[in-house]
Amino acid sequence: MAGMHHKLTILRSYWRGAHADDTQSMQKKFTRSFDSLGAIYEFTEDVLTSGDVQDAARFPVHLAMEELFTNMVKYCPGNDNEILLDVTTNDGDVSVVITDYDVDPFDVTTPRDVDTETPLGRRIPGGLGLHLVQHMVDSLEYDYHDRQSTVRFTKESG
Amino acid sequence: MFAIEFGENGDILCSGRLDAAECAKAQDFMDSVSGSSVLDFAQLEYISSAGLGILLKTQKRLVSAGEGLKIINVNNHIHDVFRYSGFHSIFEIETQ
Repeated sequence: MAGMHHKLTILRSYWRGAHADDTQSMQKKFTRSFDSLGAIYEFTEDVLTSGDVQDAARFPVHLAMEELFTNMVKYCPGNDNEILLDVTTNDGDVSVVITDYDVDPFDVTTPRDVDTETPLGRRIPGGLGLHLVQHMVDSLEYDYHDRQSTVRFTKESG
Repeated sequence: MFAIEFGENGDILCSGRLDAAECAKAQDFMDSVSGSSVLDFAQLEYISSAGLGILLKTQKRLVSAGEGLKIINVNNHIHDVFRYSGFHSIFEIETQ
């Protein structure tokens, strides 16, 4: 697990250091509630606009942000800690880091058992969120240490 | 901001962003739908898995009664979401 954390740190250093002139980055903590989703959208949209991110990349970023945030809310409802969002843009590409404190591990990179060919009669609502994230972003990483979950995803403009 | 209402032609008009925070409003409305209906997504910008769950739940209820939903004017992004979710096999879908 320590190796994963080291890899994540290196990636973030590269992202922020190699193209510093083109980089827009903002961090903000949000209350662990579905009611935060409107404010999260506005916060993310502000960064994407500042970074001149194209429309094709915006939808997947907003979707992944919502699905990952609501996943943290749903699976740790008794935790009062805020969730930290860090959005960075660089030359139209987007990198997001979501950090959740004092939680049990939940690896969002584990493939979801979702059968999209299942007939309607046997479909069960739910379970599509992480499946969509895994298909719609370009990279997805998970790190867990000291009861802290960190999820990082990227979406390129191309 | 999400809104849902019947249009003059009887279609169900959705607009804005259907995220997890807006699902109660959408669910309450869809629970009142009893026959085959057209959902017009021309003004719907965004939908997440929470919204997909409402569509799926409503379609299961209507199909079991011999009815169903048709979804029209779906934008490219939402169409991608439907495609990854396998919704094409269980809904009639028309893109913009």
